[in-house]
Amino acid sequence: MHISPSMKMSDLVQSDFELLAVLQRLKIPFGFKDKSVKAVCEEQGIDLDFFLNLARWYHERDFFPGETLMNHPVKWLVKYLRSTHSCYIDYHIPRIEHEIIQMETVDQSEGHNMQLMLKFFREYISEFTSHIQLEEEQIFPYILNLEENLQRDQPDPGFLEKARGYTIRDFLEDHSDIEEKLVDLRNILLKYLAPPSDNCLFTNVLIEIFRLGNDLNDHTILEENVLIPQVIRLEEEFHKKFPRK
Amino acid sequence: MAKVLIAETSYLVRKGLVSLLGQTDGVTELKAAGHPDTIILTIKEFSPDILLLNSTIQLPVSHDELIARLHERARIIYIINTPLPEDSPAHQISVFDTKNKLTEKISHHLKQYESASEEKEDTEDLTPREKLILKHVALGFTNKEIATKLFISAHTVISHRKNITRKLDIKTVSGLTVYALINGIIKMEDIQ
Repeated sequence: MHISPSMKMSDLVQSDFELLAVLQRLKIPFGFKDKSVKAVCEEQGIDLDFFLNLARWYHERDFFPGETLMNHPVKWLVKYLRSTHSCYIDYHIPRIEHEIIQMETVDQSEGHNMQLMLKFFREYISEFTSHIQLEEEQIFPYILNLEENLQRDQPDPGFLEKARGYTIRDFLEDHSDIEEKLVDLRNILLKYLAPPSDNCLFTNVLIEIFRLGNDLNDHTILEENVLIPQVIRLEEEFHKKFPRK
Repeated sequence: MAKVLIAETSYLVRKGLVSLLGQTDGVTELKAAGHPDTIILTIKEFSPDILLLNSTIQLPVSHDELIARLHERARIIYIINTPLPEDSPAHQISVFDTKNKLTEKISHHLKQYESASEEKEDTEDLTPREKLILKHVALGFTNKEIATKLFISAHTVISHRKNITRKLDIKTVSGLTVYALINGIIKMEDIQ
């Protein structure tokens, strides 16, 4: 399917429900009636091209629109990534945790394996949370400030000082691989644990972990291949516009 | 059984190869990428057994680094944008090749990959030595400490750890600890 501005938003979702994730993260409310993609975007104040680039990538999975996405204001992407974060923290992660707790209560195994998995997952949650906290509390505000100050004739003196001593490249080096532990969890469940008595529950936990893993993967692609290169570009422009004397 | 990644900028060629490989026996998973950055990322995440790479793509890493990022038994087949002579090497395919020629070359690599994996098959269980190393990793010792305790070099410890991770598909220390607990290599009391 080729996603075009004139197609109905409801048809778009019906033909690929995975796109619901994109709609949710752009905070597009439901109740589309017969409105087109273009009309819904206009109503919600979302740039049509930005929406189309994201939706086409999620749907076609073919060519990553890195360059094209970089041509939009960085704050749009930050907003998108932020709603993705809250989706993980408020919904996906607690849900998986809850399901592992449920498995633990039905686990009859001798070694209390599910208790182990729960402990492992909780370790993951705390790593994950601090990873996201760093981005939310330091990285994103820096990026938004950078973009905003670049528009001004005179940058905020406090920010100017900060910008001269910092670059997003440092962050990229520390950008820890947040998927690794999740992949381990998945492999242990899949390869080394006999399913506990409630099979349906076990399968569902696996499905959710796979989903989250894939989603995190996309998230990392957006951060490392669009957000950071775009910020590096902004930093260059910033230092050109406000050179050291 | 092999996972194949097609790294090709041309949309038409990429789609053509996807369609051809989709009907080839021995291909378990198939991914395609066009942008150099996406290719590198996919190599990392997907860890292909066979990489079909257009020879004109400028990757952001050197050739040696590319080899290092692929697993040790992975093979590369180059896609060449010009016609190739009749007796061209097996690891080169041309966009001008006929369907038969392409199938023949790709099947050749799939078979070779498979027979190479079979030889390795019976060694997928951990050796007693690897189990010992795993036990120490799970108990929280560093590579250096393990080396001193077992009278081997740190380099040997690292190489054992690589093999353990490859065999078990578990990368992190806490993941390895969970594995060791489940399999009775260490006991809960040992780490408390």
